[in-house]
Amino acid sequence: MKNEKQLRELQKAMTVVNLTVLLYYSIICTATTFRLCAARGAYDFLYQVSLLPERPWEMPLRSLALFAALCGFMWRKNHHNLKKLSHRLAFCFAEMLLCLGVIASCHFYYSGVALMVLADLVHYIQHSKYRMCFMAVMMLCFAFGKQEILSPYLPSIPFFNYLDYYDQSVRGFFSGGESLLVSVNILLFVLFMVLLFTGQKEENIRIRTLNAQLNYTNRQLNDAYAQLKENAAQIQQMTAVQERNRLAREIHDTLGHTLTGIIMSADACQVIMDVAPDEAKKRIGIIGDTAREGLKDVRRSIKALRPDALEQHDLEGALSKLVENFCITTNVAVEYRQEAGSLSFAPDEEDAVYRIVQESMTNAVRHGGADTITVLLKRTEQRLTIRVTDNGKGCEIPTEGFGLSHMKERLKMLHGTLCFENRSDGERGFEVTAELPLRGK
Amino acid sequence: MKKRILAAAVALLLLFAGCWWNGRREIVLRVGAYSGSYWGTDTGGSYQILEDAIARFEAEHPNVRVEYTSGIGTSEYSEWLAEQVLKGQEPDVCFVFPEDFHLLASSGVLMELDGLMSHDESFDKTMYYPACLESGKWDDGQYALPYESTPTMMFVNKTLLERFDIEMPENDWTWNDFYAICEKISAQSGTQADNWSHGYYDYNWQNALYSNGTSLFTADGSFCTLGEAKVQEAVRFYKRLRALNPGYIITAKDFDLGRVAFRPFLFSEYKVYQPYPWRVKKYSNFEWDFIEMPAGPEGGNVSEIQTMLLGITGRSRHKELAWEFLKLLSGDETIQKELSIWSQGISPVQRVAEDEEILADLFEDIPGENTIDRTVIHEIMSTAVSVPRFSRYEQAESMAERAVNAALESDQALDSQLLTAQREINIFLNQ
Repeated sequence: MKNEKQLRELQKAMTVVNLTVLLYYSIICTATTFRLCAARGAYDFLYQVSLLPERPWEMPLRSLALFAALCGFMWRKNHHNLKKLSHRLAFCFAEMLLCLGVIASCHFYYSGVALMVLADLVHYIQHSKYRMCFMAVMMLCFAFGKQEILSPYLPSIPFFNYLDYYDQSVRGFFSGGESLLVSVNILLFVLFMVLLFTGQKEENIRIRTLNAQLNYTNRQLNDAYAQLKENAAQIQQMTAVQERNRLAREIHDTLGHTLTGIIMSADACQVIMDVAPDEAKKRIGIIGDTAREGLKDVRRSIKALRPDALEQHDLEGALSKLVENFCITTNVAVEYRQEAGSLSFAPDEEDAVYRIVQESMTNAVRHGGADTITVLLKRTEQRLTIRVTDNGKGCEIPTEGFGLSHMKERLKMLHGTLCFENRSDGERGFEVTAELPLRGK
Repeated sequence: MKKRILAAAVALLLLFAGCWWNGRREIVLRVGAYSGSYWGTDTGGSYQILEDAIARFEAEHPNVRVEYTSGIGTSEYSEWLAEQVLKGQEPDVCFVFPEDFHLLASSGVLMELDGLMSHDESFDKTMYYPACLESGKWDDGQYALPYESTPTMMFVNKTLLERFDIEMPENDWTWNDFYAICEKISAQSGTQADNWSHGYYDYNWQNALYSNGTSLFTADGSFCTLGEAKVQEAVRFYKRLRALNPGYIITAKDFDLGRVAFRPFLFSEYKVYQPYPWRVKKYSNFEWDFIEMPAGPEGGNVSEIQTMLLGITGRSRHKELAWEFLKLLSGDETIQKELSIWSQGISPVQRVAEDEEILADLFEDIPGENTIDRTVIHEIMSTAVSVPRFSRYEQAESMAERAVNAALESDQALDSQLLTAQREINIFLNQ
């Protein structure tokens, strides 16, 4: 808060004033007791009060010790940032009890300490309901913690009995000093409350302004996001069109070219078969060569569609890289167990393995919310098993989305199988198992 | 772990050392005592009984030392005790003057002894005269035990009675006997050649009301009985008696010169000045004796009794020891028997007060026939009344005194004046 420093200064001033008042009462009571004894007025005093007075050092010692404890407690509370509300309330309650102790220890001659504690509690507690409760209790303490009110229930020697020892002028001087100190304490309390509530009002206005600014920025951000989404969709569409065009071009340039050649050669063969069988044979040989060339072109084109990682690394390296990147980007712990020996397969098989691992891990995080994934690659002769297990929430009835059906299709093309279900070992999570018969390179 | 075990062992060792030291430490028990006699009579060896009790107590309790401050006279004792209370240095056991008892008990300076009394099987409170024990009661609790008592009795100038040819009255005499003797002396006094003689000195309506079976205030001090029939009767009797001495104020000097037949006096005076050698110091020019107070029609030969008390202060740290010492001073027969030697009061312990040996010692030095014997002591002490003292006693009593004096001087009806005064005093008492 802006005026925090001033509030702290006011609290310090209140502490000093309250300490002075307590010292005032302590000194008057103790000094008067000894003066009474020296002036042979002890019996008359005892007769007048008809109560057993405390030992002269008891009240000063007790009230000042409790006041010191209260100040220490307040300082500790304000300098230790307690997070839990229950802890904060417990500290406030203890502070309140200490305050009551101080008031009671000086025989309820002075209850202004309640104002000092009230100021501190109102400043400390932000929760309005609890703040009101503490305010009510401390106000009651201040209003009713007076010797005049409580003497029928808690008999103690009225302070004026001590003052009566002195003559009129001295009594007037003491009473004046006492009234002045009490008034200063009240004045400081009022000032504290005014500053506190003014500061809070300013703070509220500032928070409201900031909120409005935030809302405006939020709206702008939402607009930008929508625009971005729209652009992304356009880019996706354009990319698809470009890809289609590229594929068309590729097919046209490779397959079209080759097939055209094959068709034309086949037609020519048909015509010259009977006339020039040797020529025809030669042509058929050319058709074969052209078809093989075409296949090469097709393979080259397909190769161009492979995952980038597999382009740069072998499957072994690509999977390691995939797992590593996944860990970094998603912050999920992935245990990668490669027990299948060398991972050197046909490119379509390598593609399938790579995509299955990739898709399964993505699903585990996206749908299962898992934070631990185990990827196991195992080989039994010519059969590769890929098992991806997670500790996510699993799925009672798994619905086959695009990802799963895509994996299934890939495997089907390679005569493999895909199985997905909740974990069979009884633990929480989901398990995807792919079986792939290997052809060899 | 090792450090913790070591710390625990050191702490345990310190605890044991502390307990051992505390057990061996000398305990100091402080006693508040005064010098001289509370009853205003000459006395010697004011601390002798206390010293003897301390010696015995210290012998029985080896690690206890009993201390007292000597040299505090009876006129200063109340102030000294109040000072000690204010300074928080009050003694563990203290003597309590009858007039201070209510203040000290009600303000909480003295502790209630009922708990200690009921837990101590060796203590039997029936050993005391009821009136003496009653003196230490406040608010239905026993706050002090009696140490010594003195009843008010009637001093009789035997020489004067003989001169007027009047027989020495018996102990069971009445108001009428008293009035008749006073009347006779007053009627004949002017005819005496040597000087004027008088029937009584210092006898007042309050002496009369105790012997008429009543008291001015109820025990708790909440009600004044000034307007009641028995009190009115006592005041009327005093009015009659007063009318025998018109126009002359009798003084103590008249009494000392042997010109007065009767004067209420504390028993302590009798105990000091009746036997030799003190006998020659005071009232030596005439023969005198003590008898019981004259009985009213509604009461008996009842005297007011004053009792010196002993209490334990509420803040004493050695209450058990204080109780043992208090019991020794107040209830031990050997210590109480010393009262007959060193003090002028009567022991509140019945067996000691009525002990034949002690009475024989007392009467040994008294020449001639005396009217006081074991039976009289028993009767006086058993029937005596302890005047209730409470916080506003002094003011209430002086209000009553003023009202009675006004009523005696006035020609108006006595009963209505006393009832009005009673109402006013009761309002004052219940403010």
